Amino acid sequence: MKVIKSFWKGLLCASLSRPMRKAAMLGLIIISSQISIFAQNKIKVTGAVTDSTGRGVENATVSEKGTKTTAVTAANGSFAINVASENSVLVISSVGYSSKEIKVGGLTNLHVQLQQMSSSLQDVVVVGYGSQKKANLTGAVSVVRPEEITKRQVTTVAEGLQGLASGVNVRGGGQPGSEAVIQIRGLKSLSDSKPLYVIDGLITTANRDFNPDDIESLQILKDASAAAIYGSRAANGVIIITTKKGKSGPMHIDASAKMGVQTTPRYSLTKTPQFVSLNDSAYANAGYTPDKWQKHNLSNNTDWQDATFRTGSMQDYNVSFSGGGQGGTYLVSANYFDNKGVVISTGFKRLGLRVNSQGSKGIFSIGENVAITNAQSDEMSGNPYVDVVRMLPTIGVYDPSHPAKGPYGFGNPDSANTFGTNPVAHTNLEDVNNENFRVRGNIWSELKFTPWLKYRLNLGYETSNDHYKYFRKKGDWTLNQPDDPSILNENRARWETSLIENTLNFNKSFGRHAITAVVGQTYQHDHYEQIWGNKRNILYNSSNGTYYPVLDQGNSPTTGGFTQDAVLLSYLGRLEYSYDDRYLLNAVIRRDGTSRLGPDYKWGDFPSVSAAWRISKEKFFNIPWVNDLKVRASYGTLGSSNIGYWDYIPLINTNSTMVLGSGQTVQSGATQVQLANENLKWEKLIQQNYGFDATLFDYRLAVTAEYFISKTQDVLSTMYIPRTTGNDGGFPRVNAVSLQNTGFEFSATYRENKSAVKYWAGVNLTFLKNKILDLGYNRAEIIDGNTKSTVGESLGMWYLYQTDGLFQNQSEIDNYKNKDGKVIQSGAKPGDIRFKDNNGDGQISSDDRKVVASPWPKWEMGLNLGATYKNFEVTMNWFGSFGATVYNGYHSVVDRFDDNSNYRTDVNPWTPTNTNTSFPRIVYASNLNSRGDSDRWLENGSFFRMKYVSIAYTIPSPLLKKIGFSNAQVSLSGQNLITFTKYSGLDPEFVNTNIFQKGFDNFAFPNLKTYSLGIQFGF
Amino acid sequence: MIMKNIFNKITCSVVALTTLVASCSKSELDVPNPNTLTTKEFWKTEDDAQKGLNAVYTMFYKPGVWSRWIYFRLDLTSDEGFSQSPWLELGDWTRFQYVNYNFWEGNVNTYNDVYKAIFRCNQVLDNIDAIPFADPAKKDLVIAQAKYFRAFYYYYAALLWENVALVTHVQKPDDLPQQNTLTEVWAQVEKDLTDAAAILPKSWDNANLGRPTKGAALGYLAKTYMQQHKWNEAKTSLDYFINGEAKGMYSLVPDFKNNFRDNNENNTESVFEIQFSDANIGGPDNDAPNQGMGNNRAQFFAPRGIGWSDGQARYWIVDEFKKEKTKDNKLDPRLEWTVFYKEITADFGDKVYGRNWEWGDKEAWFRKGQRDYYRTTEDYYSQVNNRLLRYADILLLYAEVQNELGQTADAYNYVDQVRARVNLNTLEVAHPEIGTDKAKFKERLKMERALELYGESVRWADLKRWGDLDTQAGVDAVAQRDPDFKNFVVGKHIRLPLPQSEVDNNKNLKQNDHY
Repeated sequence: MKVIKSFWKGLLCASLSRPMRKAAMLGLIIISSQISIFAQNKIKVTGAVTDSTGRGVENATVSEKGTKTTAVTAANGSFAINVASENSVLVISSVGYSSKEIKVGGLTNLHVQLQQMSSSLQDVVVVGYGSQKKANLTGAVSVVRPEEITKRQVTTVAEGLQGLASGVNVRGGGQPGSEAVIQIRGLKSLSDSKPLYVIDGLITTANRDFNPDDIESLQILKDASAAAIYGSRAANGVIIITTKKGKSGPMHIDASAKMGVQTTPRYSLTKTPQFVSLNDSAYANAGYTPDKWQKHNLSNNTDWQDATFRTGSMQDYNVSFSGGGQGGTYLVSANYFDNKGVVISTGFKRLGLRVNSQGSKGIFSIGENVAITNAQSDEMSGNPYVDVVRMLPTIGVYDPSHPAKGPYGFGNPDSANTFGTNPVAHTNLEDVNNENFRVRGNIWSELKFTPWLKYRLNLGYETSNDHYKYFRKKGDWTLNQPDDPSILNENRARWETSLIENTLNFNKSFGRHAITAVVGQTYQHDHYEQIWGNKRNILYNSSNGTYYPVLDQGNSPTTGGFTQDAVLLSYLGRLEYSYDDRYLLNAVIRRDGTSRLGPDYKWGDFPSVSAAWRISKEKFFNIPWVNDLKVRASYGTLGSSNIGYWDYIPLINTNSTMVLGSGQTVQSGATQVQLANENLKWEKLIQQNYGFDATLFDYRLAVTAEYFISKTQDVLSTMYIPRTTGNDGGFPRVNAVSLQNTGFEFSATYRENKSAVKYWAGVNLTFLKNKILDLGYNRAEIIDGNTKSTVGESLGMWYLYQTDGLFQNQSEIDNYKNKDGKVIQSGAKPGDIRFKDNNGDGQISSDDRKVVASPWPKWEMGLNLGATYKNFEVTMNWFGSFGATVYNGYHSVVDRFDDNSNYRTDVNPWTPTNTNTSFPRIVYASNLNSRGDSDRWLENGSFFRMKYVSIAYTIPSPLLKKIGFSNAQVSLSGQNLITFTKYSGLDPEFVNTNIFQKGFDNFAFPNLKTYSLGIQFGF
Repeated sequence: MIMKNIFNKITCSVVALTTLVASCSKSELDVPNPNTLTTKEFWKTEDDAQKGLNAVYTMFYKPGVWSRWIYFRLDLTSDEGFSQSPWLELGDWTRFQYVNYNFWEGNVNTYNDVYKAIFRCNQVLDNIDAIPFADPAKKDLVIAQAKYFRAFYYYYAALLWENVALVTHVQKPDDLPQQNTLTEVWAQVEKDLTDAAAILPKSWDNANLGRPTKGAALGYLAKTYMQQHKWNEAKTSLDYFINGEAKGMYSLVPDFKNNFRDNNENNTESVFEIQFSDANIGGPDNDAPNQGMGNNRAQFFAPRGIGWSDGQARYWIVDEFKKEKTKDNKLDPRLEWTVFYKEITADFGDKVYGRNWEWGDKEAWFRKGQRDYYRTTEDYYSQVNNRLLRYADILLLYAEVQNELGQTADAYNYVDQVRARVNLNTLEVAHPEIGTDKAKFKERLKMERALELYGESVRWADLKRWGDLDTQAGVDAVAQRDPDFKNFVVGKHIRLPLPQSEVDNNKNLKQNDHY
């Protein structure tokens, strides 16, 4: 520890011992250079390097052949170089382009156009505090082309990533403004699987406020060696996004518009006649005489799904203009996104503006990226996907019979006994709105002392003003609601994070040796503060039925507020070495200190090392159909301290009140409510990764395969602690679990570009297994809901009573005995479920539960297909998940019959005359057949789904040129249109954020079918 | 502001870059919580101790215990009440149909709140030693109250689950306490109550009414002994009221109904009383600002259409009341204030929340604590104090103890005091057949307790103490009054299952037998 500290000190002192001064206006540090890059008596040549479209190429190398004289192009492609004579030859090269040689001759102003190379091997990949050639990567990095994301109708980036990269699992979206759940290389942390997002160097989240259309490049750092530069926050992987920049040249305008419609999948639920007949027989089977049956209101036949769901719509408009000249470039983009949800009274709107610009003068360059967004969402009240099931068709949406409880229909013990929520009433009576105004951006400046040494200061800042408003009108939406008045609750909050990064980059080749190094220091401060207010009995205008939902109105005011602060201080370093692009070595270290952990545990070191061997570069390697072959291995440590602000400090709760005395005087109390573990330390992930990359058959086929073993140690989780502690307010955070993930990822892409019909096909496969190494608190197992987690096994295995068919007659019941002859289910009737008495004690009790299945898929697959012919392009993405056993929460409600809900139309219950069925007899008020903790509700959760399909037509350019456009495309696309599955719930691709209950489909918001039309053009 | 902030950060980072890496980072990472005190900063002053103790009282207002669910366990599970709740699982837990032992409302919430209360008591007791008090007597009073409440909650835990873990110090998150036997739990309750009784005052001044008195501690101590049939010890405790220090201090209030309303609170009959208030109406029930201090029971037990009607009274009490008239040949006035029932208008000219009877013929609802005397609906914030232990109960307990000790003749006096308030004849006149027959006296006393204390959360303890649920014959007799007891399995349902999650995650706990 000490050694490392002094190493850093030494390094930093050495690098900064040069004279320094501050440029007060910008608050930037400019370090005066003592190195002259200009020599005497030479010819000065200036010029510009552009790509085939005429845009400037940044960072291209311009060198005088046979000498050490080099220059690097600025952002607009401009360069200046002093050469020896007119006979000098300039070599112009840039990553991703074929290099070009030009004789200077008499020219002093050159315009060089470089041709882009087709192979993706030349792609430059941003790896955090620098970039690398994809060919030279030693770690596991996936690159996703932004077009792949933006061509889908998505709200967030994460949603758009599904199936595009191996090892990246994405679930969710659908609900307006909802954020998808993304998991990179399996479950590592128990609390939060969110990867770290780095947008233009700012550590943040690509939440719904971020416009996916602003992405220029996106890379996913998957293994420890790649992600280690982000140290303590990288355990869940890192997604690095750079936003679009302007290119030098005349102004270019791009615009796109997408319009889509969305529909939700629906349940097949009974209408009144079938419902009544099933409900009556459930009562009859329970021994109720007909006078005790429900007195159904047969005049109602409500289709609650029709009342609640609608066709949603999406609109997404983007326009940007960009350009630049010698000194700098700019890009301004604007976005309007609107999603009308498929559930009534839900929606999301986003308005965004981005300005990215940069400029340079001499060795100094400066730039900024700023995005301003305002996002507004009308949130869903409750869960309508449960409500439409629990409401009975015999209840009307409106019911005038109880004016004191409002105009809506809901359960009634005599005629429709359900506690289901009327979703129409709920959404109309309870309004929840969220609005976030966010400014996110960074300002950076670079000093390029020499072509191989630059200093960069990056100041990142993000702030959001958040406004939450909850308004509850008077009226009921369910049976037996407390007689609440109208209630208004509002909070306003401000989130702020500021980041300061100092980095020094070194990049130089010595013959065949190339060295790139980065050292740096970063500081990030997060700050949040909120105030809230609450009032009751909000002013109501009875003449027109409107309220005045402002906090000036009403009575019983309550207020509150709080503040949160956290600091992260880090030092980082990376060394890349390559010899002849053949032997590649990469070493990273990051040292992080956080305010969120206990005094003795604030600092953590996160080193990693990786190496690769490009066999194809060896002389002996001579396989003509292998264009490139590289093997690589890495080992590294990552961390996580993604926890609350002060979880390690036990706090006093001062909210207690009590009354005392003849005057019933209110007095206040104070006590510890929630326990805390004071010795919280870093959660660490230790990962090994082995892989190879191959490019075959004239660059047509690219194959990557990786095998990894990752161990997460001391996972910061909130594990169950006994209630005997008296703890409340959530289980305390603890370094409890250690978990191992082993996985295999494979991806292959085949491209045929030479024929008339160009086509490509990509497949990525992920095989993943997790094993619990330790559960913390000295426990061997943890039982959470219907799952059990045991050391040595996978997390959250289904732990349930086992069903064993139905009793067909009384003698089967009488003969179902344990070895001592005790009748096990003496109370059962023919048609009831037979449960296994696994411990043989002659009764069905909690000890009979057993681990019966795994909620984890055995493998997952993404399939990306595409073809172009002339101006047409067809693309498709498929995603499949196979081998998981999931719990059908929908069936566990709709099939229970002991408690009233609607039923499904295809139910086939056992009756004395209908015995050839696996569905038990239906009985009201007896929960033995319907108990939630039996394997009756488990199903095969495998599915294969077409996530996306599109057909696009590019309008021929001669036609466009006439109207002054440079390019234009129209496309028609669909999402989630076809699914192959045996799962009988609403959507096999569901999300459950409780990691112990991953496979529990608890009425998750389903994936929607989306059809959209898009146009896109530039001029 | 922001600019200044950034500028400061830059300055700091520049400084950090040059020389002061270690010192700058150290202070930067030391971010204090600006929102509240830490436990290390608390427990320093007398006021802290007092506030810690106050937080124990706050537990009264938690739904797992005295603001809601415990009444389902104590009143509805007994043969006095039952549930026809449309929420079936809620009803199942009042009729011995326990399937999911983790059912929050039926089991876990109450268990959780009992241990929360104990945790708060233990915090006071563990920390108070180091707190200097100007007046040591005050310190002793805080300790005594904390011990009283720890015993109070263990008393109810013993009644409900029996074999619970005794936690008498603040726990760490990884503590897995050992299970204790019922005997051990009772011993802990006895110890704490004995300690508390030695310190607690006979009475408090007006400003402190509601704190437990010596009488409250001895009353619960007597109950604890009686549950174990330690009749001599129980008598010693109860002697405090009858012929000890507190002789003549307590008396029955003339009007029976004044024990159940928000006027006449903390009256002479009250031995221990939970102070409810509607001061924070609409407030939450968790440990958040403005938390509610009312009782939800009235809302949950009010008749259909007025409240939730999740709990109802068994009708047999109406018939029982009508078996004996007062000296002036009227109906026992307690009937009117004990239950709502159909004939209440015919019998007393009374109504139900101002309504005529609109419910079933043989239906009844608990009336004690309901606010029909000034309202037509109920809500979650009833301010009516709950007289958990009142002098009438003490008198009947004393009679029971005397009878058990073979002093049946002496026991009459105490039953008669209770009967006299409502103008009934003495027991000897009304039931000459009893004489000094201990068994007959006990049978009659059981009914006297029901008539006086119906719906006051003592019946479950009574049934257990009397052994009525220990034999099938006994259960069958109870089932005559309450058919829910047909589900009762002797040896099993006498106690609740422990929350399954507790058993599953603490290897030192064993699920109660037969669950």
